[in-house]
Amino acid sequence: MCMAVPSRIIAIDNGVATVEAFGATRTTSLMLLDEEVAVGDFVILGAGGNFASEKVSAEQAAESLAYLAEVLDSGLA
Amino acid sequence: MLPVDTGLSVTLSPRDGRIADVDIRSGRLVQASRLLVGKPPAQVGTILPSLYSLCGTAQGLAGAEAMEQALGLGLAPAQRTARRFLLLVETITEHAAAILRDWALLLGGPPDAAAVKPLRPLLATARRALYPQGDWARVGGGGLLPDVEALAGLMRGLSQASERGRIAATPLLDRVEAKGLGGFGVAPFRPMPENGPADLAERLAKDEDGAYVACPDYRGESLETGPLARRRDHALIAGLMARHGAGLMPRFMARLLDMAAALREAEELVQDLTEAPSGTEPPLTDGVGLSRIEAARGLLVHRVEMEKGVVRRYQILAPTEWNFHPKGAFAKGLTGVAAGSDPVFLARLLAAALDPCVTCDITVAGHA
Repeated sequence: MCMAVPSRIIAIDNGVATVEAFGATRTTSLMLLDEEVAVGDFVILGAGGNFASEKVSAEQAAESLAYLAEVLDSGLA
Repeated sequence: MLPVDTGLSVTLSPRDGRIADVDIRSGRLVQASRLLVGKPPAQVGTILPSLYSLCGTAQGLAGAEAMEQALGLGLAPAQRTARRFLLLVETITEHAAAILRDWALLLGGPPDAAAVKPLRPLLATARRALYPQGDWARVGGGGLLPDVEALAGLMRGLSQASERGRIAATPLLDRVEAKGLGGFGVAPFRPMPENGPADLAERLAKDEDGAYVACPDYRGESLETGPLARRRDHALIAGLMARHGAGLMPRFMARLLDMAAALREAEELVQDLTEAPSGTEPPLTDGVGLSRIEAARGLLVHRVEMEKGVVRRYQILAPTEWNFHPKGAFAKGLTGVAAGSDPVFLARLLAAALDPCVTCDITVAGHA
């Protein structure tokens, strides 16, 4: 189901962000995002991953990433 | 994004001009809820909406309801109304986003960014307008204090979203009609009963290895859940199904109708929202709870076993598991159809009509 993986923005070029989560990087468009974001911010990607859908706080991102790391470590993925 | 593929990978195998086989591989983290074991209700209530943020309202409320059942907690009518209202807000915004973003992409155009951008913030607005302390998913009910002014602004935003979605839907519906695809993807229609399959509680209770939540069935068959299943008795949809069967046109129209109906219900409910204090601290007792919520994409089920007030077992069954089941509506709708010159486009149309909650990569065997 729709697990939301907070992804950290590592670069922004012309409305397209390069984001990272768990060591994997990908690009995603910021065109549908309502808030301003900068390098270092965390975003959630919409279903499909082509568009960032929401900015999340660093605290919320850390909490979700810790849980997801536990999921991966436990082999439940 | 994760070191594992968390979406759906679909491979179409054409043979003699037809799609002979539809292979669906899923990397969805359907067992992830097991890690809620040992956590108290308050922590579960925080984790669920942020972990499943795309349908976070439905997940948060399904979790609260399941834990309330398990702990024998009643809920004030005002809390029920407020929760229903929040769920409707998510349904409207999710449908509008799918139409304004995904349907536009299907036609090769860019999404309507100006129309999509305000949608996600409406969810936060709704939660804040009802539960200023942010405890909307609290077990037993949060501090409910409706902000009339904020709600009026929210309703304007929802109405605008629905209207923009309705207008934006026309080009895709015209294309489907013009290409004679209204009945595309027809397969025997097995709609989900309102409260889920009759054996739901029993199957979940026995599902020790998680095989059922990963690949659910009812008496060996996969059921379909979502707008078409819940709106099938509406005169417009019934008429379209009489003409097309459970094809693309009835599916797309059922989504539009579902969005409009959710808006209408929200407009009525907003008048009835009243204050209510937050519930008492959850008791440290044992019990089992099973909640069923009609989320935007279909039936969402949470089952929890509580022991001394903390989670002993947690299971989630999401709508995508039914609709994109290897023998579900998506696979059956594509198997055997004429592949045409662009089978991937046809499959993308049907996928959009069924609206999975994860990435759905579609390739043709040998052309990946």
